[in-house]
Amino acid sequence: MTDLLPSLETVLQTLATGLLVGCTYGLMCVALGLIFGIMRLINFAQGDFLMLGMYFGLAVLSGAGLGATIGPLPALIFAGLAAIPVFFVLGWVIHALLLARIAQRRGATEGEAHQTQLIMTLGISLVLSNGALMAFGSTPVSLNVPFASQAFILDPLGAGDVLVFLNEARVLAAVAALAAAGGLYALLHRTDLGRQLRASADNPLAATYMGIDVVWSYRVTFGLGFGLTALAGVMVATYYPFQPYVGLDFVIVMYAGVVLGGLGSVMGSFWGGVIIGLVQQLSTLVLPLQLQGTTVFVVFLLILLIRPQGLFGRSVERA
Amino acid sequence: MGWIARNSKGLLACAMLAPALLGAPAQAADDLKIALIAPVSGPMARQGDLMRKGAELAIADINAAGGIKALGGAKLTLLVEDAGDKVETAKNAAQRLVANRQGVVAGTGAWSSSLTLAVTEVTERAGLPWVTLSYADQITDRGFNYVVQTVPVASQLALNAMPTVLDMAQTASGKRPTKVAIISDSTAASQAFVTPLRDGGFQKLGVQVVADEVFTPPLNDATSMVQKLRATRPDFLLFYSTGFPDAKLVLTKMNEFGLGKGKLPTVTVGVQFASPEMLKAVGPELLEGLILVAPNWPSKSQAAALPGLTSRSGEPWLGQDTISTYGDVMLIRDALERAGSADGEKVMQALRATDRKDGPADFYLGDKLAFDAKGRRIGGAVGLIQWQQGLPYLIWPKDDAVRSPVWPKS
Repeated sequence: MTDLLPSLETVLQTLATGLLVGCTYGLMCVALGLIFGIMRLINFAQGDFLMLGMYFGLAVLSGAGLGATIGPLPALIFAGLAAIPVFFVLGWVIHALLLARIAQRRGATEGEAHQTQLIMTLGISLVLSNGALMAFGSTPVSLNVPFASQAFILDPLGAGDVLVFLNEARVLAAVAALAAAGGLYALLHRTDLGRQLRASADNPLAATYMGIDVVWSYRVTFGLGFGLTALAGVMVATYYPFQPYVGLDFVIVMYAGVVLGGLGSVMGSFWGGVIIGLVQQLSTLVLPLQLQGTTVFVVFLLILLIRPQGLFGRSVERA
Repeated sequence: MGWIARNSKGLLACAMLAPALLGAPAQAADDLKIALIAPVSGPMARQGDLMRKGAELAIADINAAGGIKALGGAKLTLLVEDAGDKVETAKNAAQRLVANRQGVVAGTGAWSSSLTLAVTEVTERAGLPWVTLSYADQITDRGFNYVVQTVPVASQLALNAMPTVLDMAQTASGKRPTKVAIISDSTAASQAFVTPLRDGGFQKLGVQVVADEVFTPPLNDATSMVQKLRATRPDFLLFYSTGFPDAKLVLTKMNEFGLGKGKLPTVTVGVQFASPEMLKAVGPELLEGLILVAPNWPSKSQAAALPGLTSRSGEPWLGQDTISTYGDVMLIRDALERAGSADGEKVMQALRATDRKDGPADFYLGDKLAFDAKGRRIGGAVGLIQWQQGLPYLIWPKDDAVRSPVWPKS
């Protein structure tokens, strides 16, 4: 029994960490999934949106001194809540000034419009990352909040032999991710705005005939996706040091989560992210740490082999 | 054509005035140039900046002292080329340098071993003497004639560092560690250091490896690795991470699991762990007690040889990059004085023949500054640095240390 205790502790610890990490991935994936699911736009700048959210968190907590004034936790909550509207507006502007304009150019077919938008997001990504390099420099920074290196300690057996450490910053990030994903689900399925967005995704032409401004819907979607990614950035910045190219560390996970959840399924993207987090952590129980990334993609391929449309994706082509 | 002929005098005057109007530095014909190839842009720009400071301070000191006396008091100027962060950009920088080589007598750089390997491929062909703080064995394993390494190479560093750590732990705590855990990333630099220790090095020292975790950067989460530390209870941790974010994740997680702040003695490699940026990003509490293996660091003898260097640098403290580059320029000066010529071959011969216990030797750890037939450092020592009360101090070699080591007694 004594020999089993460390492994039980390790299993529980790994499971808990996988869930916490997965929830944060889930939020990143849901934001990307929203943009792809409704606009059918592959957004190469998603990692850079995350990076901007991180620097926004730093600006609020350290730059504006809010962390010292009202305390790190309230300042972080404020930064997370403020990130959504601030970056929603930025996303709105980017869509209005750049993406919509090239999509609406005269004579462009839908396919051409998507291609040009895709290349435009690549350009936006380069501008954002290099602009951030000029503005913030290359030195990694972090939020340095006390709860990033503190943990809630659980004693599931009550005997003190098995302890599970839940990083406070990750718990906070997971709660924010669940709340944001839940809010987005409610928005998409319980409001008129959500119905408009889903109608624009399902059949833009029919939606237009029904009086829905599809371009406006796309603009809202892009803004929402940007805002949610920035929220994820603020939360991740509490425990992950960042520099202008930090988005590259997460962008593969985001895409994998979206594809795993099912292209076009917004909430499926969230579960895709959670599964990636879980697989990433649980693989370390039986495999060397170096194979962590490989395991994620082996599981990813296996799932797609069985369900090519992803876990929650639809098996029919978009109408 | 007619217009050119009509205005030829005016054009000639403009051409003559152009350098002055464009702000070209006035430079005497006999000035000698020292090249520095370092990453002054991109993710490693900070290290390049620190190297540049070291070179500029050394050149200012040499010129203030009358320049190179053996060459009629020739003054030195610094020529900086940006190595960027890739092998290709470093090689391009070296090619630019040798293409405009007039007046360049020797050079130093390029911080990272992979960049230095690329740079020295070019400088070797051009016959340009090169001095480097990079410590990969391959740099001097290629049979090159125009490069010297001023610090011990990686294989020596790894095998010499651990006995030094064990001796230091025994001296400080009265007990010799017998169990080690290793956490390292999968980069070439990390594995070059860790592999000889893993493959029998620790066994020869009577130390059992109880956990050996290798991760591929970037690390998303350090829980599984730190959980293994909790389960295996080593006497100390050897931690080698080349990436700053990965290092922070591990140190933070150790603190979260009650192993931080020196409770589990942690030995790491690389001066990035002793940078002001690391202090800012990680905070003094998480760094407390962390021990670093470094090939060079400001020491008692350096401080005695040149008081005030830190304040002149504008940095809160001097690190390996600044002090080594300062030393490299002083070494080139020493070679120029002994060679009595700016000819590349003669300067290189003088560099190879260096055997000094003072002068440029003051800026490196060890009892003397000399080079073997390959151009590798003779007389170098492993430096151990420890974070104590928010500052990194040299704690070993004992004679040159500015603080005593702290190692938990339990």
